[in-house]
Amino acid sequence: MALFTLENISVAYNKQNILQDFNLEIEEGKFISLLGPSGCGKTTTLRLIAGFLESNNGKFLYKGKDYTKVPVNKRNFGFVFQNYALFPHLTIFDNVAFGLRLRKASKSEIEKKVASVLEIVNLSGFEKRYPKELSGGQRQRVAIARALVIEPDLLLFDEPLSNLDANLRENMRIEIRRIQQELGITTVYVSHDQEECFAISDQVAIMNKGIIEQLSDPATIYNYPKTKFVADFIGFKNFIDFEDQKIHENEIELTKSGFTFIVQKNKANTSTDGKTGAIRPDNIVIRPLKESVTAGKNELPGKVKIRTYLGRSYQFIVETPIGDFTINQELLVPYQVGEEVILEFPANNMVLVK
Amino acid sequence: MKNRNIYLLLLPGVIFLTIFMVIPILLTIGSTFINEGSFSFDGYLHYFQDKYFIGILLTTLKVSLITTFICILLGFPVAYYISKVGTRTKVLLLLLSIFPLLTSSVVRSFSWMIIIGKNGVLNKLLLNIGLINEPLNILYTPTAIIIGLVHLFLPLIIITLVGVMENMDEDLLKAAESLGASRLGVFAKVVLPLSMPGLVIGSILVFVGSFTAYTTPALLGGKQRVISTFLYQNATTLNDWHTAAIVATIMIVVTLLVTITMNQIAYKINPKG
Amino acid sequence: MKEKNRGLAVFTFLVFVFLLGPLLIISVTSFEGGSVLKFPIETFSFKWYENIFKVSMFLTTFKTSIIVSLAGNLLALLLGVPAAYALSRFNFKGKAVLNAVFISPILIPGIVLGFTFLRYIVTTYQLPIYAGLFIGHTIIMLPFVIRVVSSSLSTFDFSIEEAAHSLGASKIGTFIQVVLPNIKSGIIAAVMIAFLESFNNVDISVFMTGPGVSTFPIQMLTYVETYFDPTVAAISVLLMIITAFFMFIVERLMGLSYFTKR
Repeated sequence: MALFTLENISVAYNKQNILQDFNLEIEEGKFISLLGPSGCGKTTTLRLIAGFLESNNGKFLYKGKDYTKVPVNKRNFGFVFQNYALFPHLTIFDNVAFGLRLRKASKSEIEKKVASVLEIVNLSGFEKRYPKELSGGQRQRVAIARALVIEPDLLLFDEPLSNLDANLRENMRIEIRRIQQELGITTVYVSHDQEECFAISDQVAIMNKGIIEQLSDPATIYNYPKTKFVADFIGFKNFIDFEDQKIHENEIELTKSGFTFIVQKNKANTSTDGKTGAIRPDNIVIRPLKESVTAGKNELPGKVKIRTYLGRSYQFIVETPIGDFTINQELLVPYQVGEEVILEFPANNMVLVK
Repeated sequence: MKNRNIYLLLLPGVIFLTIFMVIPILLTIGSTFINEGSFSFDGYLHYFQDKYFIGILLTTLKVSLITTFICILLGFPVAYYISKVGTRTKVLLLLLSIFPLLTSSVVRSFSWMIIIGKNGVLNKLLLNIGLINEPLNILYTPTAIIIGLVHLFLPLIIITLVGVMENMDEDLLKAAESLGASRLGVFAKVVLPLSMPGLVIGSILVFVGSFTAYTTPALLGGKQRVISTFLYQNATTLNDWHTAAIVATIMIVVTLLVTITMNQIAYKINPKG
Repeated sequence: MKEKNRGLAVFTFLVFVFLLGPLLIISVTSFEGGSVLKFPIETFSFKWYENIFKVSMFLTTFKTSIIVSLAGNLLALLLGVPAAYALSRFNFKGKAVLNAVFISPILIPGIVLGFTFLRYIVTTYQLPIYAGLFIGHTIIMLPFVIRVVSSSLSTFDFSIEEAAHSLGASKIGTFIQVVLPNIKSGIIAAVMIAFLESFNNVDISVFMTGPGVSTFPIQMLTYVETYFDPTVAAISVLLMIITAFFMFIVERLMGLSYFTKR
């Protein structure tokens, strides 16, 4: 059974709908990320779960109980803020002990719990310092400790790593994942960083304009996006809008302007109602024209329009009868601008999206 | 830019202030230690044994303390409310706070004469609704001075506190809430300690302002002297410049002492602020 | 949560009634037709507004106040703007002390300043009362000029100045052509705030009176001691209109941050 459920939630701000008929279910112990461009409603969703926002409609159920009207301070959810939000007038110890004191914990209990949570986040010995004396990464760990120490029923992260530099970000996300798995706390994590979400989560929800476009494990989303938005967001740069499709037992045959393409059917692939083909720049194969006289199935003739050196590989923009395609390829001898080429679209690398 | 040129920019102002303010102030203070041509503390010893003068000093201190206390009590919730409302209401309320502050203190004190006078608005109102049987004597008492001073300085503490509370990170309040704090808990444990610097500065401004105010006690205090009216009386009506200089020196010392001590306290309360 | 805010809103409302109510009452009483101040008024008339112009001392002292404030303002600008520029632009030895000296006129009690001005500027230096008023008001306006101009210089990008230098402008030329235009609104705001401070001043002016010489607020005080008719109420209304006008201009120029920052 789901640990908590958002049911037909609507949120409007300044008469603009941010979420409409929004639904989400999360299972106990899972780490779920909400990922999407800014303005997609991911932070709104998180703040709604936390109780900072009230929905206009819909219900928020926690373990089957209606939590919609439960105030923030009665929810017992831990929230980790983007800018840490540490109390500047309190020491690290007092920051972490803040929630325990409100729960009327005894002095010895507070000392024990603060010490153990600071150990979990590797900050033992920092008790007497003030937030200002800590680095960004250390502050973030205090913020996590402060949220963890109240033994929250749910742990919520609002872009917690976006103020840190790249190296620290990678270390911290490993840390967050380790802590979450050690303690088994159900976690909702908001970020606009794709790599971060994929690395850290059991499940990722890709959001766009207030709805969830796709909710799956990271590998499924990465390989088999369901919608054009998701495909585009995770790097399928090339799209073909097909005119016609025939469904066979193991494959689907599609046509566009007289060119024929075969797309393999397999378990996660391929929504047969999708009529747009999507493929990553890395997966298109580029060959010199002389090797094959005419373009066969899954092939297109073209001419190199732009060549960019990316360091590890070259990127080519190739002009074809059905539009431009972007291809990344590692080559020792690159193609020249204006050179005639053949593009091959491997059947197992193309997916159909809505 | 060469250092010499920088000092040239400051020089005219410094010379002007030195001749017309710094030297006169130093001479005033110096003159209080001279009695019949030789150095002595007699002037001060004399006044600190004078019951009349001590009475005035204590009344002034009492009036200033009560004024500061009332200003904090009234100003803090109002500032908190102003810092939380939408931008448009906030601008309006701030303008309404600043307006009295810029208005002539004569006008503001005079307005209270109409209200708390024997035949004033307040007495008429209270008599009419039968709360009192004979008019209250508020005007020309220390209470009148306190009312006038609270009216004079309340906007100052409000806008000072709004300045501090506005810069308070909204997420801090949310963090406290998510950790289980009630509205009151958030206020007591986060808003109040974080407002301390503003509260201290505001209190200094109100206390020092009340301690040295002249117009309000002159208009509303009647025969009740405070230290500034006492200074004025000695300097002009009585032509006793020695006394006036001693009172002036005491005022400077108290003002500096209060400012420095309060700043120290603020630093102790909030070492990281 | 909503209930709690409502309580706070009501409290705020009552405090504003306390702050603005007296000013409203005084405005209403200025239209009284009779000769005694009362609220609410019994008959309506403008006669006390006319009376302002019949009392010659009001006209004389008004002129004195305007001249002293404007002249003092001009001198305070001439002394204060270069000083504010030096204090916000450069780091040098003795900066903290000099800063304190320029701000000190607001730290020293006004009544103390008034007394020392009377004792030394008028009596010891033997300057006329007019000069004493002018010098005293200049001194109390200086800190306001320094503060407002410094705060508008704090957002000024001094690399623009270097750009002007590199294009061949002299130092003084740069200041006049580049710096001044950019802090224009700060200077206008400084003028307005300093003007109000000087025009409303009692603490200094109360010592600087002589035969036929006094400032407008002092004349109001003197009048109130003798008469209890609505003339001063009528004056108050006019002063409040001027104050409101000045406040809106400052708000337009500098925003409200000038007032809330300490």
